Amino acid sequence: MAEPLANEPIPVDDLPALDDDAFVSVDPRYLRASLAGTALIALVAVVVAGVVASQAEQPVAVVLIGAGVLCVLALVAVLKVLEVRRLAYQLRAHDLSLRSGVIIHAVESLPFTRVQHVNVNRGPIERAIGLATLEVSSAGPNIVIPGLTEADASRIKLLVTQRAGVDLDDSAPLAPPAPPSLPALASSSVPAPAPFPAPSSPAPPAP
Amino acid sequence: MLDLAIPQRQSSLAIVFLGLRLLRSLGLTQLVILALFIVRGPFGGPLVLVPSAAILVLGAVSALAWWRYTFQVVDGELVVHKGVFRMDRLTVPIERIQSIAIDQALLHRVTGLVKVVIDTAGSAAAEFTIDAISRPVAESLQRATVTEVHAAANTPGPLVPGAALPPPLISDGDGAHDGGDEGVGVNAGDRVVFTHGAARLFVTAITAWPLAGLLVLGPLFALGDDAIDQVLDRVPMLDDSRLDGGSFRWWFVPVGIVLFMLLSVILNIARVFLQDWNLTLHASSTSLRRTSGLLSRTSKATSVARVQVVSSRQNPLQRRAGVHQVELSNVGEGDLSLPGCNAAQFAMVSELGGSTPIGRISPARRIHPVQVWLRTRNAAIQAAVLAIGLYFAVGWWSILAFAFVPFVWLMQRRDVANFRWALGGELTTSRRVIDSETSQALLRKANSVRITQTIFERRRGLGRVHLVTAAGTVSVGMLPIAEACAVRDTVLVATETDSRPWM
Repeated sequence: MAEPLANEPIPVDDLPALDDDAFVSVDPRYLRASLAGTALIALVAVVVAGVVASQAEQPVAVVLIGAGVLCVLALVAVLKVLEVRRLAYQLRAHDLSLRSGVIIHAVESLPFTRVQHVNVNRGPIERAIGLATLEVSSAGPNIVIPGLTEADASRIKLLVTQRAGVDLDDSAPLAPPAPPSLPALASSSVPAPAPFPAPSSPAPPAP
Repeated sequence: MLDLAIPQRQSSLAIVFLGLRLLRSLGLTQLVILALFIVRGPFGGPLVLVPSAAILVLGAVSALAWWRYTFQVVDGELVVHKGVFRMDRLTVPIERIQSIAIDQALLHRVTGLVKVVIDTAGSAAAEFTIDAISRPVAESLQRATVTEVHAAANTPGPLVPGAALPPPLISDGDGAHDGGDEGVGVNAGDRVVFTHGAARLFVTAITAWPLAGLLVLGPLFALGDDAIDQVLDRVPMLDDSRLDGGSFRWWFVPVGIVLFMLLSVILNIARVFLQDWNLTLHASSTSLRRTSGLLSRTSKATSVARVQVVSSRQNPLQRRAGVHQVELSNVGEGDLSLPGCNAAQFAMVSELGGSTPIGRISPARRIHPVQVWLRTRNAAIQAAVLAIGLYFAVGWWSILAFAFVPFVWLMQRRDVANFRWALGGELTTSRRVIDSETSQALLRKANSVRITQTIFERRRGLGRVHLVTAAGTVSVGMLPIAEACAVRDTVLVATETDSRPWM
């Protein structure tokens, strides 16, 4: 006689939770790349204000406007510093999360099974300081992680690509949150998901 | 028996349809205006011949497109060759075809031809079309694919197989029937879920917002000022000369408004009857199809796997009449709109879309009432800025800008009091301010999940969770942040442990 179907409720506390302490900050050098654009605009503003002030009948007004623009840019720079400090990502066995936002904090999580494709972009400033931006595309909004070292970006790209191509099997249970360090990807095989910790819970719910 | 292994060409009348499609892609209205400008404008000589030359070129291009468009079924694949200046070869594995719809619009009826719409899985642009072929060829194509499609459609999931679909009849009078909708091709294995009769359509039309019928006049306005002037000149009451010289009466305004709304309701009835006549929902084991139309029958199909969000909307009149405007939001362009559903039909559609009917869930969770204070405060700040700006134009009258703040407060109180949500196999939200809205997104179909916190929410330990699907987002705000995180974790587990197709 067949065993009756086990379908016990699972307490929410037993679900694998996203660990706030396991987020990995982006490379601190990204602050330089992030501020470079702002600095360039500030430089242009100063030059333009200087040239116009030298020709204008009321140079004080021009200087005041220029100073106002610089104040706004300074505020933008402060926000960028705070943004870079908050920017962090977390890789787990089955998903990728990004923490971002200064005024509005946001944490976005994208399961690997939803990934359509992955790009690594390197702009001129990023190339100069050895950084890269990882863009993970899905059918909805993309996740963009700037400020990764080129090596990390390539390794994460490989991991995400491999995980996105893995067919989920009902028998493959969830893994607990992965440690913040990146998995070694020297071999081409996908690391097998670790079993779901289930001292009190038989299996995750299949909706 | 037609041999589809040999390349088939469309009927030669397809040249007309191809030409019309080309014109539409170029912008029909703009082309007509340009032609009139050239013919009637201050030009002479050979320039007047440009429209004639353009028609000749259009005909030649359409004929070439028709000649080079062929289709055939080879080795389990539907192969389409097409192109004018370059040759494209489209290959669709037959097991990937979700449905083949045979559609017969008015022009097709006149010419005795049909249009075939092929719905495939796994792409945003879900369909490609064979514009005009004879019905026997279309039916041969349908027969050649349907058997394999249904044999391959062994998708595990909550959807009941076609043979075991619930009893097909929830109908309003025209009668439901299995797989037979005259004029529009229906796949073998399709079941009719419901059909809207004339009475249901009438209720649908008169319970829409009073100005909804004016949408019909949209194209008229698009034609420009000249057309509007010509219309207005023919309406004596709107003639400028009659309004001059003090002949205006105060009762013109309410009478005008009533007449305007009456016109709108009449137009809406006409629009609904033309567009949704005999609206029928068909379901197979893998797809849903909506057919409707009086002068021209239209058919729109989607695979069940593509349905991401099931939502409904009711205005106060529709609530009183028990009528739901149901939407199935899909990946790509395949949204299915089903107006005029009653509660049982809405529940049936929800089940077919993979969701639990909202009547069975009865969402009970609420959001934090501090939202009322937040939104009212924001409205007061906006009113203050507006009042300061208006002060320089209208003086102290600008203080009236604050009049909408109590309105916002009332609306927000009502919103918070009526908002309910639930988390089960899907994230369900239900709200009612003036209109009622419900949304359901299956957890297992989530594309990503996001938690956001504004400064206001952070100070109070609150947050907002967004379940993002490939066809829309369902959000619940003003939750304790721990609860929002628990929702996020539940969604991720559901998404990551379910191997069923999600789009």
